[in-house]
Amino acid sequence: MATLEHAVPFKPLTVTERLLRFVTRTPVHIGLIGISIVWLVPTLGLGVTSFRPRDDIAASGWWHALTHWNWTTKNYSSVIHSAGMGHAFLNSVYITVPATVLPLTLGALAAFGFAWIRFPFRDTLFLAIVALMVIPIQTSLVPLLRLFKDWGHLNNGFVGIWLAHTAFGLPLAVFLLRNFFITLPKDLIEAARMDGASNLSIFRRIVVPLSVPALASFAIFQFLWVWNDLLMALIFISDPSKRPMTVQITYLLSTYGQEYNLLSAAAFLLMCLPLVVFFSLQRYFVQGLLAGSVKS
Amino acid sequence: MSQPPLPTPVLEPQEPPRGLGTFRAGERLQGLFFIAPALVVLGIFLVYPAYYTVRLAFYQGDFLYRFSNFLGLDNFKELLTDDPSFLDLSSFPPSGALVNNFRWVIFYIALSLAFGLGLAVLAVRVRYERVVKSIIFVPMAISATAVGLIWLFVYSPDLDNGILNAVIHGVDHGFDPIAWVGRPSTVNYALIFAYVWASTGFVMVVLSAAIKGIPTEIIEASRVDGAGEWAIFRRIMVPMLSLPIAVVTVWLFINVIKVFDIIYVMTGGGPGTSSRVIAYTMYKETFENGRGGYGAAVAVLMLLLVLPVMVLNVRRFRSERVTT
Amino acid sequence: MKRRSWLVLLAVAVGLGLISTVLAGASYGRTAVPQTKKAGTINVLSLWGGSEKSAFLKVTDAFTAKTGIKIEYETARDFIPAIRTRLAAGNPPDVAIVPRPGYLASLAREGAFKDLRPLGFTPAYMKARYTSGWTSLGTVGGKLYGLAVKANSKSVIWYKPDSFAKYKFKVPKTWAQLIALTKAYKAKGLTPWGLGCGPGPSSWTLTDWFENIYARTAGPAKYDRLFAGKLKFTDASVLNALKLMTSILNNKYIAGGGVQGALGRTFVSGIGQVFGPNAKAQLYMEGGFVGGIALDQVNTKLKPGKTIAFFPWPTITPKYDSPLVGGGDLAAAFKDNADIRSFLKYLSTPAAGAIWVSTGAVISPNKQTKSSAYPNLLVRAEAKQVASAKIFRFDGSDLMPGALGDTWGAALQNVIQKPGNAKKIMSDFQKEADKAY
Repeated sequence: MATLEHAVPFKPLTVTERLLRFVTRTPVHIGLIGISIVWLVPTLGLGVTSFRPRDDIAASGWWHALTHWNWTTKNYSSVIHSAGMGHAFLNSVYITVPATVLPLTLGALAAFGFAWIRFPFRDTLFLAIVALMVIPIQTSLVPLLRLFKDWGHLNNGFVGIWLAHTAFGLPLAVFLLRNFFITLPKDLIEAARMDGASNLSIFRRIVVPLSVPALASFAIFQFLWVWNDLLMALIFISDPSKRPMTVQITYLLSTYGQEYNLLSAAAFLLMCLPLVVFFSLQRYFVQGLLAGSVKS
Repeated sequence: MSQPPLPTPVLEPQEPPRGLGTFRAGERLQGLFFIAPALVVLGIFLVYPAYYTVRLAFYQGDFLYRFSNFLGLDNFKELLTDDPSFLDLSSFPPSGALVNNFRWVIFYIALSLAFGLGLAVLAVRVRYERVVKSIIFVPMAISATAVGLIWLFVYSPDLDNGILNAVIHGVDHGFDPIAWVGRPSTVNYALIFAYVWASTGFVMVVLSAAIKGIPTEIIEASRVDGAGEWAIFRRIMVPMLSLPIAVVTVWLFINVIKVFDIIYVMTGGGPGTSSRVIAYTMYKETFENGRGGYGAAVAVLMLLLVLPVMVLNVRRFRSERVTT
Repeated sequence: MKRRSWLVLLAVAVGLGLISTVLAGASYGRTAVPQTKKAGTINVLSLWGGSEKSAFLKVTDAFTAKTGIKIEYETARDFIPAIRTRLAAGNPPDVAIVPRPGYLASLAREGAFKDLRPLGFTPAYMKARYTSGWTSLGTVGGKLYGLAVKANSKSVIWYKPDSFAKYKFKVPKTWAQLIALTKAYKAKGLTPWGLGCGPGPSSWTLTDWFENIYARTAGPAKYDRLFAGKLKFTDASVLNALKLMTSILNNKYIAGGGVQGALGRTFVSGIGQVFGPNAKAQLYMEGGFVGGIALDQVNTKLKPGKTIAFFPWPTITPKYDSPLVGGGDLAAAFKDNADIRSFLKYLSTPAAGAIWVSTGAVISPNKQTKSSAYPNLLVRAEAKQVASAKIFRFDGSDLMPGALGDTWGAALQNVIQKPGNAKKIMSDFQKEADKAY
């Protein structure tokens, strides 16, 4: 069935027809390009500001910088060294990586169990996990704070926040991955079973290699979610030297309230890794979102 | 180690009756091993805390957030009737954090859908669709904190920094710059729009994928019948997209209930308490005023608000369940 | 046979579920061994950044040089949430320098701070160094929890002497003269007042306006009662003070977008409106620390006495004269050890006071600090104002319990936007106040 994606004109258009089409399409073009520009402008503004010296920022609008070239990287070096953003960047990495790998691993194992192993209450349990997906993190802030303290001051380090993020990422992981695993060819798995392979080796040798796109989708989704998180980091990271960038930026906001030179550089630093991840792995990110929301 | 399986018959095997013991021996234990770690983590770090919070909502809670001072339903009563920053029905229009979330529900969802759907429909017709999609989608990848900073900058009342004011001033020189996040009449809408900017990309991408799945014959046929673009949009596309639109709306709704970062960064609930939302109230009451039980009551309210979505998700999943 | 294994499996699954719940539940209440810290280091938490922070760091550097004990200074954007989360997490800082006696009192009552008297801060020790006003600020329920470490006068209005000279304006001594000055500036085409009281965290500027007006119109006795929760905020004296406040703080006299502009502006930017390089306003009301911030952060080219100076708040009701409203920060300890005691003792020496005030932003509440330690005539004048004040009142919003001071600031933000609604705003606020007091 031909869909809009594959719509192909059957005969070439004459010049008049093409002109007509372009003219009627012009509002579309104007609308799209106009909106795209509007969408880009805020980020662009911040970006340009981050390269301007402090006095310039106070004196003229950032759009002037596009014509009067006077760019500096001083803001970035200030913010990385004296405002501690460089350190905070490392903290963000240190928080995000385990908080992505853990739910991915545990989630994949569980998803496999739900998809390809039969055991009692399997579907009920899975429904329960689906239900857990929407629980807001506000319900766990206080109890986890206490729990981490009683279990040996897990708030002093990163273990606490790793566990918290893992717990909140698991329902989505299990849901996404299980929905993907059930689309794997049944014969492949049955054949392996007949050959006497254990579930674990089926998981390792068949399911995982075939599921790289789905695993990547969840991983990127979770990575961005944890990297960009503010509230959990505010609550579960007590040690100021372990603060990630999101929290560190809010401190800049209160201290240097109107010093847009520093704030903009910091904001851009915060954005650069997610943007890189996003642009290079856009496909997987979108897949992850779609799989979780639209019936595949 | 599992026993060798029984030989499979040539015919399609019957689905085993649900819940009874025709499972392969040992398979149940295997299943358990695979799901146990996830269940344990979920049980300890997600389910138990939720229970703790629900219970705490019925107490006052001390500064270490223990169960001290049983209050029954008092926290809830106070929240809904005696806290003007949360819900103030004494004057019209009503105000308070709960009302603000309601505003968010309406405007945030409507605007995101409108922009997302509109852009998806338009972009499908041009060759640079991918580029537009990327541009609109990029804000989704950045932190709400960064979104807040970007828009603080846009809304700045200082003509040299705030591009919104500068643009309006450029068009109408008599215009006095407005502090968009400084006045209660505009602050909520300013915040909402910033978040719409960040979320439209998601709507656009999902709906764009869905639009591409619409069969062209139907569209072409109606064009031949003389239907205008708008009619095609309204009568054919939208109904066919109703499921993805519903899914997206649910996602947007969850976002609204949870929204916190952007308010924390941009206004701190201000000016006054005019831009407060539920999640911010929870934070303030629990961590600033130290009222653990009261904050827990707010969290319970959030839970109640997402309950319909939870039920919806479970139902939807049930209807598309696949057994292997 | 199959049935039995199925039951076994069920038992195991249920057991696992039970175990995880029990584990989680039972662990609540168990105390674990706290993490050991490096010996010879103290963490200090406060909320200063910028120039106030560098001033404090000078003091701590001197302390480290003298004793070898290192100080790790941490800022918190939301001071109270940071303390609460760290307390609940079992990881509070060693020392917190609390900007509000109200916070100190709330936390002290909850048992978070250590009583300082057995740590060497006996009544005699305190009497030698502080007036009873400062000592009682840190005392809650008869026990001493806080040491006053820095102070500011908040009854000052900053102006530009060169501007006054140009227009031949005189320093106003009464409210009527202040209003006249405001109108005179306006007549010259200059919107006089700079104000930065938002969003969120900067609302306390408005509370200082209110306190100065209230102390001068309702008198010190009512002031005390109001901020101790004994007088309702819906009282006529409060509404009257609010009316006077909005007679200056309104769209006509506030530069840079009137009330709305001020609400979108932080207080540092407000200072910048008057003293920054692109100055558009002329007068700024805030504490003595404005000088330090202005000189350090906003515009290093200012010349004290020539382009920046202050005059004391004018009188309003003659019989109440000009009470001094001041603020200060108090140091409190979460834990007790030799290093902490040593640090707190150091903070109460005149030497520490001298270093701190040499940065030109604060005055020392310590009686023993010499006035020669003050680096410029601005702070010297401020110190003199504080020392010679006949009536002294601590910043009212800082006296409010817990975070009520913030709610109060928010209420005032609402008042300047809708002065006609003042009565309703105050009665809503009274509800919050009733809960807190």
